[in-house]
Order: sequence, then C-alpha cells, then structure tokens
Amino acid sequence: MSERQWGTVREDYSEGGDAWNYFSHDQARSRAYRWGEDGLAGISDDQQRLCFALALWNGKDPILKERLFGLTNSESNHGEDVKEYYFYLDSTPTHSYMKYLYKYPQAAYPYANLVETSRSRSRQEFEYELLDTGVFDQDRYFDVFVEYAKESPEDILIQITVNNCGPVAAELHVLPTLWFRNQWSWRSSTERPELQQSTGNQGWSLIKATDPRLGERYLYCDGEVPLLFTENETNTQRIFGVPNRSPYVKDGIDNYIVHAQKGAVNPDKKGTKAAAHYRLTVDAGQSQVIRLRLSDMAPVGPENGQVKNPFAQFDSTLQARRREADEFYATVIPRSLNADQANVMRQALAGMLWSKQFYHYDVDKWLRERGSDPFKESHKTAPRNDHWHHMYNGDVISMPDKWEYPWYAAWDLAFHILALTLVDPDFGKQQLKLMLRERYMHPNGQIPAYEWNFGDVNPPVHAWSTIFTYRLEQGMKGEGDTEWLKSSFQKLLLNFTWWVNRKDRSGRNLFEGGFLGLDNIGVFDRSAPLPTGGYLEQADGTAWMALFCQNMLEIAAELSLTDPDYADMSLKFVEHYLWIASSMTHLGENTGMWDEEDGFFYDVLRLPNGQAQRLKVRSMVGLLPLCSATMFDGVAMAMYPEVAERFLRFLDARPEIRTAIHDPLKTGVAGRRLASILDETKLRRVLAKMLDEKEFLSEFGIRSLSRYHADHPYVFHVGDREYRVSYLPAESDSGMFGGNSNWRGPIWMPVNALIVRALLQYYAYYGNDFTVECPTGSGRQMNLYQIAEEITRRLASIFLKNKDGRRPVYGGTAKFQEDPHWRDYLQFFEYFHGDIGAGLGANHQTGWTGIIARLMHLFATLKPERILAGGKRAYSEPQAKPEFVSPAGVR
Amino acid sequence: MLRVRRPQVTLYVDRSSQHWVVLDLDGSFWKLPNVENPWDQREPFYPTEETELEPIPGHYKYLLGLPLD
Repeated sequence: MSERQWGTVREDYSEGGDAWNYFSHDQARSRAYRWGEDGLAGISDDQQRLCFALALWNGKDPILKERLFGLTNSESNHGEDVKEYYFYLDSTPTHSYMKYLYKYPQAAYPYANLVETSRSRSRQEFEYELLDTGVFDQDRYFDVFVEYAKESPEDILIQITVNNCGPVAAELHVLPTLWFRNQWSWRSSTERPELQQSTGNQGWSLIKATDPRLGERYLYCDGEVPLLFTENETNTQRIFGVPNRSPYVKDGIDNYIVHAQKGAVNPDKKGTKAAAHYRLTVDAGQSQVIRLRLSDMAPVGPENGQVKNPFAQFDSTLQARRREADEFYATVIPRSLNADQANVMRQALAGMLWSKQFYHYDVDKWLRERGSDPFKESHKTAPRNDHWHHMYNGDVISMPDKWEYPWYAAWDLAFHILALTLVDPDFGKQQLKLMLRERYMHPNGQIPAYEWNFGDVNPPVHAWSTIFTYRLEQGMKGEGDTEWLKSSFQKLLLNFTWWVNRKDRSGRNLFEGGFLGLDNIGVFDRSAPLPTGGYLEQADGTAWMALFCQNMLEIAAELSLTDPDYADMSLKFVEHYLWIASSMTHLGENTGMWDEEDGFFYDVLRLPNGQAQRLKVRSMVGLLPLCSATMFDGVAMAMYPEVAERFLRFLDARPEIRTAIHDPLKTGVAGRRLASILDETKLRRVLAKMLDEKEFLSEFGIRSLSRYHADHPYVFHVGDREYRVSYLPAESDSGMFGGNSNWRGPIWMPVNALIVRALLQYYAYYGNDFTVECPTGSGRQMNLYQIAEEITRRLASIFLKNKDGRRPVYGGTAKFQEDPHWRDYLQFFEYFHGDIGAGLGANHQTGWTGIIARLMHLFATLKPERILAGGKRAYSEPQAKPEFVSPAGVR
Repeated sequence: MLRVRRPQVTLYVDRSSQHWVVLDLDGSFWKLPNVENPWDQREPFYPTEETELEPIPGHYKYLLGLPLD
C-alpha cells in the first residue's frame, strides 16, 4: 500500500492542476480516495480491495496517526518532504515475512511548527526536520515494530511490538485498521463490501470482511478488544459543508478516539472501515505485543464443539518465517560481506520490496470525471495527461518512494529492476513488460514518464534493463527467456522509432529530449523554450540514444542466435549506433559536442541566426557519452557472414566514421569488439576529469557536477539576464523542477551505476594493460576494473560505518549517528551530498538508490580474471570471493 | 462494441446553503436535498450574483443518484 495518496495527480480534480493543495493531508482523514489508499505499514490484496494498516494515538495529537505527515512542495524550502521516521527492515520477495519500524513521538506531533518554520526558511538554508523540533528529546517516543508472517498465501499473521523508549511509562492507543477501498461510491453498481463484528471467543475478537469478488476474510484480534466500525466514505460536512447522509464517515474512528464523539462509530458493529482498539500503558524501556491474524479461514463454529484458537501456532510460525528470511538472505548476500555490509544490503532490498504499491489510474475516466472528456467537442482543458486517455493502470508496481514519489517513474523503474532481480527476477521481468503493454505505452511508442506528465521525456534505459535481466536469468537457469526478450524487443522498437522521429530535430542523429531526468543540471530549464530562442543539441540525449542502440543491437544479436530474422535487425542497430556516435564527435566542425581543448562533451546551443556554441558546464551530461559503451564477443556476426560483409561494406564506404569514434573493427581482449563513442584518447581525457577529486570524484562516488564550478561558476548572459551554474553539493537553490532535486553537485546512484557498468565493459575489452591514474594526480595507477570497484567502494561507504563508527549518510545528525535505537536503521535517500555523502532529497527513494545492493553484490562475487576470460558470462555466473576489499586496501 | 458517450452534467456544492447543485445539459440548475436518492427529489435552483458554486469531481454523481452513466 502507498504511504501517500493525498496530494497526488490522481486525486486532483482542481481546475489548474494544483495536486498538492487540492487534496491535502488535512482532508485525507475525512475524504474518501478515488484511486487508491494509504496507511502506516499498510498492505492490501493485489487489486487493493481490502486494506490493512496501523493507526496510533498518543493521547496528545489532534488527530489519529493514520498516515505519514509531510510538507507539500510549496510548504518546504526544498520541495515536498516527509517528516516522519520509519524504516523498512526486512522482506522476502514473496512477502512471507516483512518487518517495519515507525518511531512515534509521545508528545503532540508538531504539525503547525513544521509548516511554519519550513515556510520561513530560504532555499539557502537546510530543511527543518522532525528531530529539530525536539519532539524526540529524552527519547520520549515509541518504537512501533510491525511484522507480517504468512501462514499461507491468504493467511497472514501480524505482530505489533510497541517499545517505550522514554524514561517514564506512557500510554498508547493502537488501532490495527481494516477497510475496503471505496469503489462503491464511484460507480452505479450496488455491489458493496461489508465489515462486521463476528462471534469471537474468549480471548479474541473478530472482524469478518465480505467482498463480492474477494470473498470472505477474517481479522482475528488477540484479546477481547473493542471493535470500532465506520464507513470509508467522505465526511461531506467537513469537506464540502453539506450534511452527511450517514453519521458514520471516514474519520469516524478518529472522532470517536480523539474527540470522544461516541456517536461517530456504528453501534451495530458494521461498516466498511473498522479497527480494534488496544489501549496500552507501556513502562519505560519495556515492550508490549499485539497479535492479529488476517485470514481466509473462518473460525470453527460452536457447533463443532470447540473454537479453534487462531493464535495457537502464531509464535512458532512467526519464528519460522523469520528463520526462513535469514536463510533466504544467506543465499543472496555474499558471505564475504561483513555484518554491517550485510545489514546495508538487506535493508536496501527490504526497501525495494516494501516499495511495491498497487497503482490505479484510469486516465480516460479521470478526464471525464473532471469534465475534460477528450472526445467531446466542448471540453475543459485538462491540466495534464489529456493525450494519454488510452491508459488504464491497475497493477502492483515498484515505486521510487511511497511517500515522496508514490507513482511509477519509468526510468526509475528500469533501475529498480537491477536491484530487485537480486531477489525476484520474475517480478523484474513482469515490471519491464508492464511498461510496454498497450495499457501503458502510448500508441505512438512513447513510454509514459510519470503521472505529473506522462508525456515528459525520460532517458531510454528500458532496453538496457531488459537485456540485463535477460542475461541474469540466462546465467541462473542456463538459458534465457527468449520469448519474453522477443516480445520486449518488438515494443522497444516502437519506442526507439518514437525517439528517432520525435527528438532528432535536424535529422542528423543529434538528439534533444529536454531535462531528461536531470532536473536543474543545465544552464536553462531544458524542457522549456530557450530564452535565446533556437534549440539544444544535448550530449546526454544523444549519448542515451547511442546506448539505446547498443542495447537493441545486443538484444537483436542475442535473438539472432536462434532466429535468423533478427540478424538483419542487428545490422540495422549497428549502423544506427555508428551514425549517432560519430555525429557526437565530428558533426558541427568547431561547434560539435566534443571540446578538444577541455577534453569533455557539452550541450550545444543552436541559435536562430545559425550560430552555435557549447554550453561549457562540466556535468553528468558530459560523462554520459562515456557510459555509452558495450563490448561484443562477435558470435552473432560470425554466424551470419553475409551480414558481416554488409557491415564491412558500410564501413568501407564511410571511413570518417571509424576515425571519429572507437574503431568498431579493432579487436581487444579475446578478440572482442567495443561499441564506444569515445576512442582510447578521448576515454583517457574524460577519465582524467572524472577521476579528479577536484572535479567529479568525491569520497562517496561521482558527482553530478564538477567541483571545478565551485570557484568557476559557468555564467551565460541573455540580454540583461544572467544565468549561472555553480557547484551546489547539497540542496538546490532554485525552484527549477519543484526545487526538490539537485543535479548540480550531489551524487546520484543510478548514473554512478551506469558509470560502473561502462568501466566494466571497457575493462573486458582493454584488459589489465589499460591503466589510468586514480585519483587523478595521486600517482596511483589502476585498471578499469579497479576503478569501477573503487567507485563502488566509495558509494557503499555512504551507508557503512566509518572508522569512527559514523555513517556518512546521516551527516551531522547526532541521533542517527550515536543512538543505538537509530544508528543501524538505514534510509536510502534520493541523492547524496557531493562532499560529505549525507543523504538528501527523498528519504526513502530506495528505488534506485537500492542499486547499492546490486553493486555490493557484484564486487563481492566477481573477479576481474573472470571478466577477461568470460566476457558477459562472468556476470551471470557469480562466484563468491573471500573479501570485499578496495584496491587501496581499505575495508 | 462501440459505446456512444453521453454528455455530462456538472456538479457543484453551494456551501452557503449546504446543498449539492447540479447543472444539467439544458443549462438548468438543480438543488439536491440531503436524502437517499437526491436526484429524484431535486428542486430548481436559481444562482444569484452572490452565489458561489464550488466544482465537485464528476465521480460524486453516483453518490447523488444522478441517472447518467
């Protein structure tokens, strides 16, 4: 289940598309959602008919804590931000066992203080965090652990453990809550599910759930606790000022508990939302446990003489699931990793698995409900997505962050798969295929970006993730799923064609694409009309397309091994790749993307008067051409000599192509070929910049913008207006793209993973003899494998305890660094400070930051000699190596 | 099967009178009482210059018992 449904595009029916303010957190407790549900540690069935989550009340808050609170985009000085502390501690891929922690203050939650203080802060100041409010002082809070353990697929044990971390006894109301997603109010059908109190027995209470499609479910609640019932329907009095038709509405339980409105819950003990009311007093330093069971098994009736005890096997089953989870991860986490490394990897994967969410959005219906039916002659203009009326989404999808980004983002998702496939390759394949289905992909071939604007253009990384996943399965099972690969290839062809037809303005194989996921990295907002007029030829857009070609070539070549029809497609993508790659380096004479003086790639501004100039910002934009590198073993070409002959004829006819890029005919280690925009000379020059600690190489990975710009900001004038790009290692200082992300200095995991991938591709080709200084100026020579491992070591060190026992990810936050109840719980932030590695942006973007698990696994199981010997096969035949040791010898 | 889409009505709330208001396809406004099937007991409504009608999402039409799909 999501952690935030309010403030989403789906729930937004405002005229201007102000999603954050139309459906607020304050409304959420009283207003029924149209498209999904949210909650604390919540779960649901795969169509989200029936939901379960936790609600809490400390006796002081003005409302029940039913969902996480955070600031909206305009309330915070750095964009939307959740203001709660919660952690995904464990999960198996089948969700047979899951564990979650929420830290709940005993004092009144400072809702107003957070909003008011944050609003008063400038973009140059840090965010105001919940810890800063003092609400956790003297440890006056509860640790609330939620564990799920499946007895069977439809029989789930739930254990809630409340630990009072404070110095004195404290009271807590715990309300495990069961409810139906409201579907009955928004359709003409009269089918309506129902919850009702059922006959329990001495020692437990029982809620029976009946849904016409789901059937019957039972929530067994340990102890004879009061059960409260209301309806998951809008409190129209509070939201719209119109009296309620029924006294039992969505916030009925809140009103009953917090405001002592005894009439707010249904005395007939039935409804569509219900909670068991546990009232605990927990002594200082002590814990209390609540046990529940959500099951499809009905209680044995009195007529059978004896009522079955639903909790008889509870503890032993829970222990068994915990043990199985440990056993499972013992097969996933390399033994060579130490306990801290294993903890980081396991929590990263737990976060990936907890971040699945049922995502429901019928765009056509949504448009009609807001009066924007695209097929009506006179319709209101929708603020967004009116060209995506074909979309019907209703699936479980891996989310970037279930609070900050509780909607899928296609390019994020492609990266998520890299980590998810460590534990669930089938889910990875299903997710990749989902984005290509007719209910998602636009009829014109575009892959949807995200709900804020499905038509935005994100980097084309889907094909890369596809061939990666295929190879992984090939290694695990001995053969790949060629049918899946074929069907993916067909749809990816549509997407490739969309790119070629839409984003190459001049037809010269130089691509645009706008911001391309890198938000504020450019001098201008690259998705808006340029203040100079004209257009940008983007080094990143073009490099992405070169990589897309390489990926399609690799897929086609793989398929051609068993199906000759694909041999021709291989040649098509070889040639297309060569056109794109060579265009990057030799087109434009002195105004191409490659700058010989600087030894770096830049975007090129093409002005309306025909003039052009490079925008010389040293950023990830200029490193992405380095990432466009793929090694080939030549097997497919050898199988099809006629195709190889055509390829040679093509190259003979265009000798300039071979001189502009890495020569595709030049063989490397084991006779391999390399598709690379950068020849050896350019590669060395770009690496010198990338590995320079005064430029891109941080102690914690590769920065998104060179530190060079700290002292040398890039300045561009248009008329009287000055545009400036400076090195900003932390948060953004502008509102560009909402101001909640920053690509002008911080370290981002996905692009670092791409760099690591590319280095390993180069290494498989160049071998041990190709060495460069790393860091630049250090006098230490490393081969490309060692550099990839060194970058990974730096990335992993963000999360690992350093020699002082501190985790860089938590920066100067004493509580996280020192308190034993905090310091080993990890948050996988969206991006990281370019100098000190502290976490920034979304707190739980485990999505693509979870890639750290894949990287740690890779270098703990891979040996360089196996890459040299086996090429691509080396990655799919993992073999543990004894230690995770950096080339510098620092563990 | 080709489905012909029916035109839509527009929903509002009038907070001052605490009533739902519907603008039908003929341009007539209707005030809906707070009962089980409000549309069946609708009454004509005549907005004045002081009337402030707040739009309500279209999916609430089922809640108001409107006959249109």
